[in-house]
Amino acid sequence: MDIIAAFQLPFLQKALLAGLILGLVLPFLGVFVTLRKMSFFGEGIAHASLAGVALGVLSGADPFLSALGVGIFVGVMIYILERKTIIAPDALIGVLFTAAMAAGLVLLSLQKGYQPDLISYLFGNILAVSSYDLAVIALFSAAIFAILTIFRRQLTMLALDRESAWLSGIRTELFDFFYYIILSVTIVLGIKLLGIILVSALLVIPPSTAKLLASSLRGMMIGSILAGELAVIAGLAVSYILDFPAGAVIVLCAAIFFIGAVISRTFVQHS
Amino acid sequence: MQTRPAITTTDLNVSYEGGVPVLQNIACSIAAGSIAIIVGPNGSGKTTLLKALLGIIKPTSGKVEVLGLDPAEARPRVGYVPQRFVIDHSFPITVYEFLRFSHPDVSEKRINEYLEHLGMSAMRSTRLGALSGGQLQRALIIRGVLHAPEILFLDEPASGIDIGGEQTFYDLILHLHEEHANTIVMVSHELDVVARFADTVLCLNKKLVCHGSPEEVLTPQTLQRLYGKQAGVYHHHEKS
Repeated sequence: MDIIAAFQLPFLQKALLAGLILGLVLPFLGVFVTLRKMSFFGEGIAHASLAGVALGVLSGADPFLSALGVGIFVGVMIYILERKTIIAPDALIGVLFTAAMAAGLVLLSLQKGYQPDLISYLFGNILAVSSYDLAVIALFSAAIFAILTIFRRQLTMLALDRESAWLSGIRTELFDFFYYIILSVTIVLGIKLLGIILVSALLVIPPSTAKLLASSLRGMMIGSILAGELAVIAGLAVSYILDFPAGAVIVLCAAIFFIGAVISRTFVQHS
Repeated sequence: MQTRPAITTTDLNVSYEGGVPVLQNIACSIAAGSIAIIVGPNGSGKTTLLKALLGIIKPTSGKVEVLGLDPAEARPRVGYVPQRFVIDHSFPITVYEFLRFSHPDVSEKRINEYLEHLGMSAMRSTRLGALSGGQLQRALIIRGVLHAPEILFLDEPASGIDIGGEQTFYDLILHLHEEHANTIVMVSHELDVVARFADTVLCLNKKLVCHGSPEEVLTPQTLQRLYGKQAGVYHHHEKS
């Protein structure tokens, strides 16, 4: 079966659609994440959400919703503790995500037998995206995309310089709070696609690729989204042809684009 | 007729973490439409005072009123040119994007006019991080004045600019001051700038040591009181 015919299959169509939606939102948000040097935050929230997955598995609730709850809770805790303690943000994230992961592992040990949900959440399973999953991803992503588009000025100024953001009329603390929540929600959404282990790749690699080539912020935003979408399309196609895990191949494609950008920038600088 | 104050502070105290006092019991009033210059030795709290007036730093106690408002509410009506602007050099924001994002309501035409006036037109699409120190300072000056603020706060604004640029800068500031009758609050180490431009001088050394016109304040006795041994440096400068 050729690749065009393969994408007529409903499960691949859903996978492609979910991938394209997340390939838009994660790299867009990732622009602000990388500019604020908060890549570790994404990693931390993703790993901490294991506790939420475990709660869902144990209670019979939807693991996505419980992971969302835990992700938001950890994001808000990081926000509060950054302001109320003298501990550096990276250390705080380290404390919270390892504690939440440990709690998740303890909870999961209470559940006997094979746990397919856990494997799917750890490594992602884009090919198993259901219509319900797709609806949830589309709904949340539409809201997140709208927020990022409307408030891109505020988010950019916050990333550039807090004093400048304040002086340009932005309520910096309030925007930071909502930014942390949006980031937490987006990361948990992405877990469905790439899993806890790899989700932050789409948040970090495409914007980093774009940053190497862009000369303006607008260029970086467009480049990041393009790199994300291309990685999803190429990753799904290659994984289908070679029968490799889709999430991992998407990340590898994104990494290849990044290496290409590094080489291209080095070449331009030396020419 | 009494001129209404643009800024008033009442028993303003600012302390850093651990309770180290930076500003103590600052009570002052700056008349609307005047040029007030803050002088004082290093570490005397000049920048902290400016930031407290801007609402960037919250007072430990006391009150600040800017245009009769809380500093946070007065933000759209004030401008600020900082002494230093630390930027990640890889941040891909152009000069135009920076000015546009800082003042979304200002027209593109006005941005272009100011870029041209300060000799920055060619830098419009240049990344902020790729500018030289002087060029970056010009971009910050444009940001500070673009929206015709009623109060302009300047923290040693000409420090990174060459002599020609410095003259253009002070001409622009004076032009804006005459055109809009705005209030200017500036931190400066240069006593000739203080003597030339100030209506009021505020001498700061954690406390408000003295304030008044340049003629009243720029005396050897006051400078000795303010700067201690450093007053000799200015004496030497005057003789040469």
